[in-house]
Amino acid sequence: MKELFPAKQVMGFVFSLILTAVALIVYFMDMSFAAGMTILLVTAFIQAGLQLVVFMHAGETEDKGAIYTNIYYGVAMALITILGTLLCMIWGYI
Amino acid sequence: MKIDNSLPLEYSTEENRLKILGFWIFLGAEIMLFGTLFASYFTLVDRTAGGPTGAEIFEITPVLIETIVLLTSSFTIGLGIHAMRLGKQKAMMIFFGITLLLGLGFLSVEIYEFIHYVHIGAGLQTSAFTSILLTTLGTHGAHVTLGLFWGLFIMLQIKKRGLTPETANKSFIFSLYWHFLDVVWIFIFSFVYLKGMM
Repeated sequence: MKELFPAKQVMGFVFSLILTAVALIVYFMDMSFAAGMTILLVTAFIQAGLQLVVFMHAGETEDKGAIYTNIYYGVAMALITILGTLLCMIWGYI
Repeated sequence: MKIDNSLPLEYSTEENRLKILGFWIFLGAEIMLFGTLFASYFTLVDRTAGGPTGAEIFEITPVLIETIVLLTSSFTIGLGIHAMRLGKQKAMMIFFGITLLLGLGFLSVEIYEFIHYVHIGAGLQTSAFTSILLTTLGTHGAHVTLGLFWGLFIMLQIKKRGLTPETANKSFIFSLYWHFLDVVWIFIFSFVYLKGMM
């Protein structure tokens, strides 16, 4: 039975629950927008990275380089799209 | 077909390895799909047109239930793949079954949430904000719905054919998809709900 629950994945799960709890601080405590967004950005990206490495086994074969390049590229394009949209639709007018 | 026994079953042929790489490339495109939805959401979030704002309609309880349920399902499918690599088909099927039940639980809460939104006057056509909110949540929900059927068919196939390089490969690819849905949800939870209720 014990072999069905590898320590690495159990730890990963516990850690992601902790990160969720930390993110909840922004709901239960009064804080500035900047402080809240910082907490959310940090917890969300750590948690996403945790899923990729611990649960999705992104780096276990010879395709490791191609997989990470592809994911980094996807994330970079998504961030450019989001920040670029914000820049020309919202931030530029304040 | 060259079978390499030093690797887990789902990687044991070159074709299988490339299918997994191919699925990662598909996930890269999925990142962009949700990236554009988030870009539109952040642009339209304050365009409430006299309708409700996020802070007025979001409720922490259903959101927390959805988050914990989806997070747990991502954990159980990880255990399912671990059991598969140990060759324990029965344990794997149990973990996959739990995963799909949790997925169903997530979807039930989300459907309840949607009905609630429409009921309190935050339907798809109320404002730019509600449109993009429901479109973003709905795109994720549609992915979960698809995943439920996909997972179910994979379980049926394993029941029929047992664990072969082919079915193991399909199960692993499905697990990638399911983990990815959890990753997307983490961003929805953080930047739609928590940011909205901050």
